[in-house]
Amino acid sequence: MAGATRTNLVKGDTSEANAVAAVAVAVAALLFALSLAALFELVTISDPVGGVPVVTLLGLILAALGGAVITFGVGSFLSYVETQPSPSAGLVATTALSGVWFTVGGLVASQTLGLGGLTWLPVALLAGGGAFALTALPREDIGSTLPAGALTLLTGLVFITGTIGPAWVWELGFQQQASFTAEFVIPTATLFAALLSGWAAAKAYGGFGARGRHMGAYVLIYLNASSIVGVLFVLVAFTAMKGIPGLLNGARVGLGVGPAVGPVALPVSVPFVMNGAGLFAEVKGVLPAIVGTIWLVVGAVLFAVPLGVGAAIFLTEYAERGRLTQVVEVATNGLWSTPSIVFGLFGFAFLVPRFGGNKSLISGMLTLGFMLLPLVLITSREAIIAVPDEYRDASAALGVSRWQTIRSVVIPAALPGVVTGIILGVGRIAGETAPILLTMTGGTFISGGQTVDVIGGFRFTTSPPFVANPELLEATTALPFQLFALIKAGVGLGDNVASPEQFQWATALMLLVVVLSFYAIGIGARYYFRRRLNHE
Amino acid sequence: MTRTSNETGAGTGPLAQRRRRFRDFVDETDPGALATVGVMAVSLLSALAGFLAVSPLTIIPFAVFLVSAGYGWLRHQGLTARVLTFSMMVSTVLILLLITVFIFVESIPVIRYESATVFGVSIPGLRLFTQTQWDAVSPPIRYSMVPMIHGTVMVTAIATAVAAPLGVAAALFLSEIAPPTVREVVKPGVEILAGIPSIVYGFIGFTILSPWAADQFQTVGQGSYLFVGIVVGLMALPTVVSVAEDALSSVPESMKSGSLAMGTTDWQTMTSITLPAAFSGVSAAVLLGVGRAIGETMAATVMLRGVPQLTKPLYNAFYGQATLTSLIANNYGEADGLQMDALFVAGVILFITVLLISIGAQYIEWRMHRKLGGDV
Repeated sequence: MAGATRTNLVKGDTSEANAVAAVAVAVAALLFALSLAALFELVTISDPVGGVPVVTLLGLILAALGGAVITFGVGSFLSYVETQPSPSAGLVATTALSGVWFTVGGLVASQTLGLGGLTWLPVALLAGGGAFALTALPREDIGSTLPAGALTLLTGLVFITGTIGPAWVWELGFQQQASFTAEFVIPTATLFAALLSGWAAAKAYGGFGARGRHMGAYVLIYLNASSIVGVLFVLVAFTAMKGIPGLLNGARVGLGVGPAVGPVALPVSVPFVMNGAGLFAEVKGVLPAIVGTIWLVVGAVLFAVPLGVGAAIFLTEYAERGRLTQVVEVATNGLWSTPSIVFGLFGFAFLVPRFGGNKSLISGMLTLGFMLLPLVLITSREAIIAVPDEYRDASAALGVSRWQTIRSVVIPAALPGVVTGIILGVGRIAGETAPILLTMTGGTFISGGQTVDVIGGFRFTTSPPFVANPELLEATTALPFQLFALIKAGVGLGDNVASPEQFQWATALMLLVVVLSFYAIGIGARYYFRRRLNHE
Repeated sequence: MTRTSNETGAGTGPLAQRRRRFRDFVDETDPGALATVGVMAVSLLSALAGFLAVSPLTIIPFAVFLVSAGYGWLRHQGLTARVLTFSMMVSTVLILLLITVFIFVESIPVIRYESATVFGVSIPGLRLFTQTQWDAVSPPIRYSMVPMIHGTVMVTAIATAVAAPLGVAAALFLSEIAPPTVREVVKPGVEILAGIPSIVYGFIGFTILSPWAADQFQTVGQGSYLFVGIVVGLMALPTVVSVAEDALSSVPESMKSGSLAMGTTDWQTMTSITLPAAFSGVSAAVLLGVGRAIGETMAATVMLRGVPQLTKPLYNAFYGQATLTSLIANNYGEADGLQMDALFVAGVILFITVLLISIGAQYIEWRMHRKLGGDV
């Protein structure tokens, strides 16, 4: 290695320089968090913090960060810091950085300097080309830090000098009016600059070269993964926070306060869950919607699970691989990706006329069943394929017929996977709105007395089809549709419930609870079965 | 293998061979079982025919089917099970066929209505795509799909820009980088993200994101393709992650170890071995994500304005009018006659696009499996 002799000389600096780079990464992370907070107005950009306006503060931190990144790069180039840079920064970095500088150059020329016509193009090309030359031509330590650091520095200076201040607005001049405001641009620019110099600083921390790139990429990938989990957490927590007051409105705990189930009265009373939305209900609730959702799911499962599991058995155990199985596979995957609203249209055109011509519970059940079918088929098939062939061979060696092998060996072994797949599939269809919109939906505010009672609804008649169930043939409501209708009702909602917003959020939370509990059970079951499998 | 050599060796063509196999099957099987299976097949087919013909008598063949299946289950369980599972498998193909037929049939009147003449030849449905005006109320009544296609393209493009890079990065994280304990947290997290109902996303978008966006960008009224695109991208993300993760982990471990043994870093192995080897699988993942984004309904319906017209200028993503999906969900209530049929045209466009994407993704995945030498 060419740098081998230098290594010992600069060894003392290495840890300090590394510490500086690590601090730069940390500052970038801080800026990232701060700009997110500003974007969602948790921090206002015009308010002063310790006498300095937030914009100026952001600008100062950005400038310092950019300066640190540049210094590190130059330091490495002049061999003050021990690094192992590659000859060039690489294609991806070059493309990204020149693209960014092209955009910045163009925007500055056309907006800040006010050059009209196409005169922004040369400036943009100049900036992009400069960045390209600066990234691609010199050694990696200059190439990856200088353009990134300079951009961060520039952003910082723009904020400090007040070129973009809190009152800054860029009217886009579209026919339909839209403009960029400082409230959006400042946090977004900060976010972006922080990401860029965070990446450059992480690269520097790794000492450039292969290890540096590894560090830079890992910082971005870890950030991405944690943001996804963060978004999920924020979504669920936010809905819970907003929904709980409405959900627990008038809730009581105590002996015998709840509605009677058989001879015993429940010890809890949650009116939102246990009441309908009748005229005289003290606290309006969503019981009919919950019951409607449950019946939808039951119907869909009764239809789709036997079909899906049976088809999966035939595909894996009986069918020889050929044209037919290929067609089935293509059809299944096609069904899986068919948009839910198309299932709705299909239900409207196919099922509704065949069940009395009105929207009905059974049409909704079957439509959701059609949606559930590919999910069940795909997961059952995977579970059945995963059963080791030794099991089948061992059973066949006993002289047992094929069906007996399937029934007593393959299906029991595949059952955990099948059940997990079904639960997860049910979780998905339970929250679907679009298919039931066209096939099942009735009124929004249904009183508790109109809650569907499928079992009690069966009647025998003398004319074909001899069995009738008016409950199945009537439209009812379900949680996802209820939420949709509540959103669409908007202002008019005030006549029906005391606090529309609370009612909406509580419904959303209830839906989330129902759907996510299916997921929780499914994921839990998978862990349980997997652990049991590992212990065997 | 043996089967193919048989087929070529016999030289009588597949049809003749199938006939012979069928005759063998009839000869070998007990006549009682054969009769039961025959009754089952005939009654099931007639029940299907009755159902298609909206006959109240459908129940009779269906009852016959149930009884014969029950009898067969008791007496000839093996054969009955085989026939039952076979008919179940056929039903999946049948459902796809029925969907295709029914939504096509419903959309025919409006395709006829919107025919346009080019060089003296009348092309049905052409005007749906050549003019941009949708007016279902005041004459001249015009149904155009152009604004909705524009909306769907805008939303899908933005959603893909969100979901593809983030999804592939998350898949890399899950399959290659994350330590087991972290994976156990992140993976269910991604699954739950897929589980949050789209209407809840839409509700949060409608009550929080839309007013915020209208305020930030000083637009007139609420609803922008940009934010619908971001929300839909978030919803398509889990699809991309899980399919791409499957593709990445199907790259043989020996390839990765071989690279690492050369002294490369993990990241070098990922960029020069794992990603190129799994490239087709990862692109199939992105394609499937695009399919999900195209079909996403509720978030778009709730967050968009629901007025079928183009944004001005076309690339103005700060205004959101309508997508193909939101058109259907917004107008199904008051629509009847020709307008309802126009909604079916939107459904047909969605269905065909997504089906083609699905088939394309499957083809790509199939090729990748063949290339990597795994079992298909």
